[in-house]
Amino acid sequence: MFVRMQSKAGYLIAAALIVLLLLIPFDWFLVRYTTLMIFIGINTMVTVGLCLLMGYTGQVSLGQAAFFGMGAYFSAILSKSYDVNPWLAMLIGAIATGAFAYVIGYPIFRLRGNYLAMATLGLGIIMYILFRQLSQYTGGPDGMAGIPYLCIGGFDFDTKFRRYFLVWFFCLAILLVSQNIVRSRAGRALRAIHGSEAAADSLGINVAQFKVKIFVLSAVYASLAGSLFVHHLRFVSPQPFDFIASVMIVVMAVIGGLASIWGAIFGAATVRILSDELLLQFGSWDVIIYGLILMLVMIFMPQGLFVGLKEAYERLRLKYTQRGAEP
Amino acid sequence: MSQSMLETKKLCKTFGGLVALDNLDLAIEAGRITAIIGPNGAGKTTLFNLVAGVYPVSKGEILFRGTPLNNMATHKRTAMGIARTFQNVLLFGNMTALENVMTGQHVRSQYGFFEAALRLPKAHREEETVSLKATKYLNLVGLGMYAQQNALDLPLGQQKLLTIARALATEPHFLMLDEPGAGLNTLEKRALGDLVRRIRDMGISVLLVEHDMDLVMGLAERVVVLDSGQKIAEGTAAEIQRNQRVIAAYLGEEEEVE
Repeated sequence: MFVRMQSKAGYLIAAALIVLLLLIPFDWFLVRYTTLMIFIGINTMVTVGLCLLMGYTGQVSLGQAAFFGMGAYFSAILSKSYDVNPWLAMLIGAIATGAFAYVIGYPIFRLRGNYLAMATLGLGIIMYILFRQLSQYTGGPDGMAGIPYLCIGGFDFDTKFRRYFLVWFFCLAILLVSQNIVRSRAGRALRAIHGSEAAADSLGINVAQFKVKIFVLSAVYASLAGSLFVHHLRFVSPQPFDFIASVMIVVMAVIGGLASIWGAIFGAATVRILSDELLLQFGSWDVIIYGLILMLVMIFMPQGLFVGLKEAYERLRLKYTQRGAEP
Repeated sequence: MSQSMLETKKLCKTFGGLVALDNLDLAIEAGRITAIIGPNGAGKTTLFNLVAGVYPVSKGEILFRGTPLNNMATHKRTAMGIARTFQNVLLFGNMTALENVMTGQHVRSQYGFFEAALRLPKAHREEETVSLKATKYLNLVGLGMYAQQNALDLPLGQQKLLTIARALATEPHFLMLDEPGAGLNTLEKRALGDLVRRIRDMGISVLLVEHDMDLVMGLAERVVVLDSGQKIAEGTAAEIQRNQRVIAAYLGEEEEVE
């Protein structure tokens, strides 16, 4: 009975959040946050890939921005310089980025722990340099403008309102797919690798292959996000794909909760809202306050916001039901 | 005459200068409980790891049901029917007891990322079978009521049983138990003995490394004694208990014992 009530409340909250999500971009509601929400959606897509890789499989990556950037540049260059249909460019970008992750995945996952972190860090830095230096294709540090909008038939995604729904359609689809994977045979294999590689191996799980597969999946997510990113901004430059960007993706994953799929939204939202909205008024003090908030979240909710808030809600509910029962 | 489940021929394993296994010739018969005993450093766990494929053989050969194993990856050996437990348990702490056992069904199911991502009917069907079978193995070791508990919240004795259920879920022909009795009380050890016999009756050959002599002598139909990487004796429990070399290896030479 208790469990039923709990999950019922859970469904209600989830439903309320989805309705809120659908209403945000309307003029009479929170239209002013449309752009912010588009970025949150895009960041969530990258973050959930890292959650699968880091939170479920236990493999660190400090270079996810490389894949985000690859998707962005594939879409930008193919659709602008070569007049490829933007959807096709997005698909080519995702496939190429996935193939790239597959090829580097086998050697890179021979490494563990700190060494793996170093290798992925190197990957991120190398890609960033390539984005800057291959200027005949990428436009170099100045970037390139005039990237076309995505469109379906005659329907252009030329307003923020429309792109908002496009981005969140992709984002929710990716979250749903990830949720399904986590609760499957493959998901158990990933968690087993995190729990004990020796034991996973002894149960017939091809550890190396699963690590590479999830790495490829996270790269494809990031690539799709990168494509949506440039078709939204219609501009691309190397800066959003630098080392700091990779670190921010890790921060989002950790804040939201590494081992929770839906936590990715909370992580991305927290980081974006703090850095794009709330902390602007603090001027140059914002970094310090930002750091403090991150520290507090980690101290009081070490499993991330998603699990933390759920537990806080449970505690509150328990307190109120007890108080009601006492007199 | 019964066919041998596992055979080693002049098997050697060296770690740098240390000889862990030295020209070991061994034949484990199918359908029996065999125990390997020997003092610390005799090479028992090394033998397990070589059979499981944790590290490569230095020299010699391992045959499993007649097939040479030497360079096969661990996960393929599991698919062929070799399963094991670990001395230090190694349960997945991020899963429930049931999920731990379900993970053991990995090689007996096929559906992958794609079917899972889209929740295709194949995924549903397989997931149902996996969960049913896992529940069966959990009940077999007597942990059915703890299915939804986190694996590491169980006491050590039950954790050990859970690793056996997890290994059984790979549906092996050959099960290697690495010190299953360590850390168990007398009652738990008796239950463990009964469980191992039931596993044998299911047609699974069992090989165990164990230090508890009462458990070994009461359980094993065949005992192999290793010392410094070599086989010094082999026989029934009664034969081993009378063997002078074994007594010497365990207690030191007779002169020294007085």
